Amino acid sequence: MKEALLEINNLCVDYVSANGVARAVNNVSLTIAPGETLGIAGESGCGKSTLAFAITRLHKAPALISEGEIIYNGRDVLKMSDKELRDFRWNDVSIVFQSAMNSLNPVITIGEQLTDVIVAHKRISFKQAAVKAKELLGIVGIHGDRLKSFPHQLSGGMRQRVVIAIALALEPKLIIMDEPTTALDVVVEREILNELYDLKEKFGFSILFISHDLSLMGEIADRIGVMYAGNLIEIGDAKTVFSKPSHPYTKGLIASFPTIHGPKERLYGIPGDPVNLLRLPSGCNFQDRCADCMDICKKDDPLLIELNVDYHAACHKL
Amino acid sequence: MSFLLRRLSFYFTAFLIAISFNFMLPRMMPGDPIDALFAAAQGKMDPAQMDAVREMYGFVDGNVFEQYLSYMQSVFTLDLGPSVLMFPIDVTTVVGMSLPWTMFLALGSLIVALILGVTIGTYSSYRREGFFGQFVPPFLAFISNFPYIVTALLLFYFFGLQLELLPLAYTYDPAIDPGFTLEFIGSVAKHAVLPMGSMILVGIATWVFNMRNAMINVLGEDYVTMAEAKGLSSYRVMYRYAGRNAILPVATAIAMAIGFSFAGSIMTEVVFNYQGLGNILLKGIMARDYPLIQAILLILVSAVLTANFVADLLYVWLDPRISK
Ligand SMILES: Nc1ncnc2c1ncn2[C@@H]1O[C@H](COP(=O)(O)OP(=O)(O)OP(=O)(O)O)[C@@H](O)[C@H]1O
Ligand SMILES: [Mg+2]
Repeated sequence: MKEALLEINNLCVDYVSANGVARAVNNVSLTIAPGETLGIAGESGCGKSTLAFAITRLHKAPALISEGEIIYNGRDVLKMSDKELRDFRWNDVSIVFQSAMNSLNPVITIGEQLTDVIVAHKRISFKQAAVKAKELLGIVGIHGDRLKSFPHQLSGGMRQRVVIAIALALEPKLIIMDEPTTALDVVVEREILNELYDLKEKFGFSILFISHDLSLMGEIADRIGVMYAGNLIEIGDAKTVFSKPSHPYTKGLIASFPTIHGPKERLYGIPGDPVNLLRLPSGCNFQDRCADCMDICKKDDPLLIELNVDYHAACHKL
Repeated sequence: MSFLLRRLSFYFTAFLIAISFNFMLPRMMPGDPIDALFAAAQGKMDPAQMDAVREMYGFVDGNVFEQYLSYMQSVFTLDLGPSVLMFPIDVTTVVGMSLPWTMFLALGSLIVALILGVTIGTYSSYRREGFFGQFVPPFLAFISNFPYIVTALLLFYFFGLQLELLPLAYTYDPAIDPGFTLEFIGSVAKHAVLPMGSMILVGIATWVFNMRNAMINVLGEDYVTMAEAKGLSSYRVMYRYAGRNAILPVATAIAMAIGFSFAGSIMTEVVFNYQGLGNILLKGIMARDYPLIQAILLILVSAVLTANFVADLLYVWLDPRISK
């Protein structure tokens, strides 16, 4: 395996409230290699966005990173000073937010939102930055005249492209994409993902791709991690996760998604409701919804075990 | 454009209604107000001037509609007749002399309170946990909860009477010739400190809290998080990304505040014997100078409406989403 670009070790993120401590990310460890696309899947509320925010320390109170390390290119992100952190953000890791529609400021022009990040990190004038900004818009297929537009003057798909252009502005080595296309229709989604892939070929960045759409992820990710109630319960190469999932939750997730090409099959949902993070059972978090629950599952937390080279899952049955 | 046109026609209608009230009021008073005026003038007015005043109020021969038209004509040509109190000076001249001072006081204190309040509100919301965010807004709230008259009199007492640091009356030192000189400007500034300061002190907390609440809403928005993720300086995130949006709801409150500021200035002028419209209005009321009172009300209405329109222009300029 190549030297990791990003390495997360035993990361825990807690939401501290009067009702108790909700651990939204629990002991998560993963790596992303240069140029790789790692997909993170899991149902709503399992901690995907919390994980994404924590990587560049964007989590805000009441969220708190209580344990773990985040190593980017050998540097510990959690130990960076404010200044180092500002330099690190966007230069090294940029983010396309879950609600990309709302991540553009409605009263600032597209141009300014593109150029200010360039000017903030590079020693160039706004004028030079504007030239670069025009170029970036061109790359995502938007006419350079749009620099003067405000976000409300663009369509949803165009705004999404602008956000991607901003994410590319400093040619970062890692782009975190938190459900970047959920608000778009399927055709536009497809278009944008294709473009994204051309850009990836061209610039060679890594992607942390977060989505609950497993079928989409199967197409674009090299490896897939599946989260459940804050835990990473299975992680490995995309093909195997898809064709031979090991964890019962992953099996359920895959069975509950329609395949476009395969034969018509009955879809299976996962019985039961997502667990409440404030009242986790002892033992495996998935026990109440698992068909194969055993005695040990109610006592001990299952640990991630290596099933194969670079393939891990956390289940007592394995 | 459509937005501004709509607002403009709204203000024009409001103005017409206001001056029509002005037309109706003397007609609803018992007796002939012009005779009352004549009595109040105690023989200072000759009959020819009385006729002019009658005409100004539309008490001319003819039906009500003709009277109304005649009245409108004198309003729009600013032909408002002489003042009783300062006979034979025209009320237009009297008002013209004192209006600038009231505008200076009312708008000046509003603008300063607004700028300070918005800056403090922005900063204290962004640094909610720090000393500044914890203590400054409650302290300002404490100050602004005194009735205005108490604050004003306390300032008057300490800075004017006890310490004798600042003048207690007039808009500038009468010994100085008005003109564009440092001496005159200095004198104006010195005379404005107490009246304006008292109004700012009382007004500032509103803006701090308006802005802080707006900021707290905006700080949860994704575009603020994205601005932080971009590694922009916290100054830029705070003022350009969050503050720029939080100011929009605050800007809508400006229009309302303008009216209050003019009303507040009347009280201030009386306390600090400042030669603005409020002061003149009080003297006019005591002397039953109807032409003067009417002219001042008219001018206050126009000033407030104009200032409101300027506030609308500001809003359009601030929010690009409003169709121009
Ligand atoms: N501000 C907060 N205070 C307390 N708990 C929070 C807060 N924000 C999120 N959580 C909890 O943290 C957990 C993880 O939330 P997160 O937003 O990371 O989920 P997600 O996997 O991104 O879900 P989705 O697919 O809906 O975006 C959720 O259970 C949520 O209830
Ligand atoms: Mg999310």
